[in-house]
Amino acid sequence: MAQNVTNVSHTEEVSSTRRVIAASSVGTLIEWYDFYIFGTLAKIISEQFFPKDNPTAALLATLATFAAGFVIRPFGALFFGRLGDLIGRKYTFLVTLVIMGGSTFAIGLVPGYKTIGFFAPAIVFILRLLQGLALGGEYGGAATYVAEHSPEGKRGFWTSFIQTTATLGLFLALGVILTVRQMLGVETFTDWGWRIPFILSALLVGVSIFIRMRMSESPLFAKMKKEGKTSANPLAESFKQKDNLKMVLIALLGATAGQGVVWYTGQFYALSFLQNACNIEFVQSNIIISIALLIGTPFFIVFGALSDKIGRKYIMMAGMLIAVIAYRPIYTIMYNDANLKTKEVIEDKTVNKMKYEVKGTDSLITSVTTKLYTDGTSYKETVKKKFPVDPAVKAAMPKDKLKPETKKEVTLPQNLYYKMIGLVLIQVIFVTMVYGPIAAFLVEIFPTRIRYTSMSLPYHIGNGVFGGLVPLISTRLVEATRPAADLPPADPLAGLWYPILIAGVSFVIGSLYISNKTNNLDVE
Amino acid sequence: MSAIKRIFGLLWTVMGVGIIPLVIMQAMKEIAAKPSEENWIFWSIVIVVLMPIIAFSLITFGIFALKGEYDVIA
Repeated sequence: MAQNVTNVSHTEEVSSTRRVIAASSVGTLIEWYDFYIFGTLAKIISEQFFPKDNPTAALLATLATFAAGFVIRPFGALFFGRLGDLIGRKYTFLVTLVIMGGSTFAIGLVPGYKTIGFFAPAIVFILRLLQGLALGGEYGGAATYVAEHSPEGKRGFWTSFIQTTATLGLFLALGVILTVRQMLGVETFTDWGWRIPFILSALLVGVSIFIRMRMSESPLFAKMKKEGKTSANPLAESFKQKDNLKMVLIALLGATAGQGVVWYTGQFYALSFLQNACNIEFVQSNIIISIALLIGTPFFIVFGALSDKIGRKYIMMAGMLIAVIAYRPIYTIMYNDANLKTKEVIEDKTVNKMKYEVKGTDSLITSVTTKLYTDGTSYKETVKKKFPVDPAVKAAMPKDKLKPETKKEVTLPQNLYYKMIGLVLIQVIFVTMVYGPIAAFLVEIFPTRIRYTSMSLPYHIGNGVFGGLVPLISTRLVEATRPAADLPPADPLAGLWYPILIAGVSFVIGSLYISNKTNNLDVE
Repeated sequence: MSAIKRIFGLLWTVMGVGIIPLVIMQAMKEIAAKPSEENWIFWSIVIVVLMPIIAFSLITFGIFALKGEYDVIA
């Protein structure tokens, strides 16, 4: 009889924890989806709201991209983290969800620059900042909430579901965008169809709010509040008290900074490298990343669960070390496999087509060359040259405005395509090693009364600043090796030095100063 | 192990201090060579956002390590 009661109680506990995880994860996934669709559709958004010929709008575009990514996110972490430690986890991360969903939905409704002029980029800029603010508050809340519901010895496993949401959010964003684009056609999608993924967010957020409203407060926070032990000033307690500041620094330098660059390299730099350095065709490159992400995602849970058995530190540090050692060899193979200079072209399969048309006052010459290589790789080069029909206007135009626009597209044969998926998958595995156990690690090093505030800041600086800067700094490092503006870079892999350096330093600090033992989450 | 942690503490502090002139000098050199808007934006982001975070966190962390605050980690 006693055995049956214990079994029923255990089953109820597991079922309740599953509900908590599902409700938290769905909301966090939707927040990531909202955040990523802006980034993925950046080019279209830029054309609709931030015209290049208006310098203020162009500056706002740059700020919207970077500010929301790394300036605003840590502020969101501080603002909502403080709220979460003062009024509770449940309501705080419910608010972040409403802000994120509302901003995303609104972006989908803002009229373009052609309709309302400068108001369009200004409104979109503010909405993007709100997205960054909400994201800064969401993750810490979800991780803390799930961790505080998790049984001892299973925290790595349960919180790893939250860790899958960032990847699944990206996957969902890519999936929705590609589906809508496919259904409407490229022209309609570019015209107005891009708004659908934004508007769709309202539906997803609505469902998530409904689920989250039915959740109860974290048991540890509720107990602490009942006992009157909540912090009166979480910000001061987190960053002015030496013992906590020490842990914030160790979390940032020894864990989240390295984790952030490994994450961004595996998920975003890999895609950018495929498209820009290897010139892999748009759909094929996105499918390569999507399949690797899909296969790799369960490993967040594998490494989260493994961290309950062998400790968080060993897995995270192993992930960083292997990434540091393996990045250059992996990217060398990726580059060589797509490098047309190492391939033999089938001469009689080369086709050239040229089209001349007049569009208004402009002439447009489009030249398309397609080539086939002996290993099955195909290559398409489209050169578009636009110039005024009137020779006098043409002569008066600056030379850079007359520069032809060249688009290169490499499509890999099946064997190299699978190999490329494998190479990206290896990088996703590194991501899962460093990212899978990190929520459990962060919640365990801070006390319950200031946990939301203390863990959110290093997480968002590590991911937003160190990780978020990977594309910018890596591109810059590659450009620095370019001997002249019209020549290719001497070292297309130079961009990897930034993540290698940051992950390397993080590995040394983490290995030396972080403890491998897991701590209990008690109300002190 | 504690001695190694403290010695490395000195290294982190020196790195944190050293990065400030290094980044500023590099920025000045590159902007002077090519004062484009792109250059200004890039170096503004590095100097205003990234450098202070790296310098402050490495210096503070290094001093703590040097003082033996991380000799025993809970």
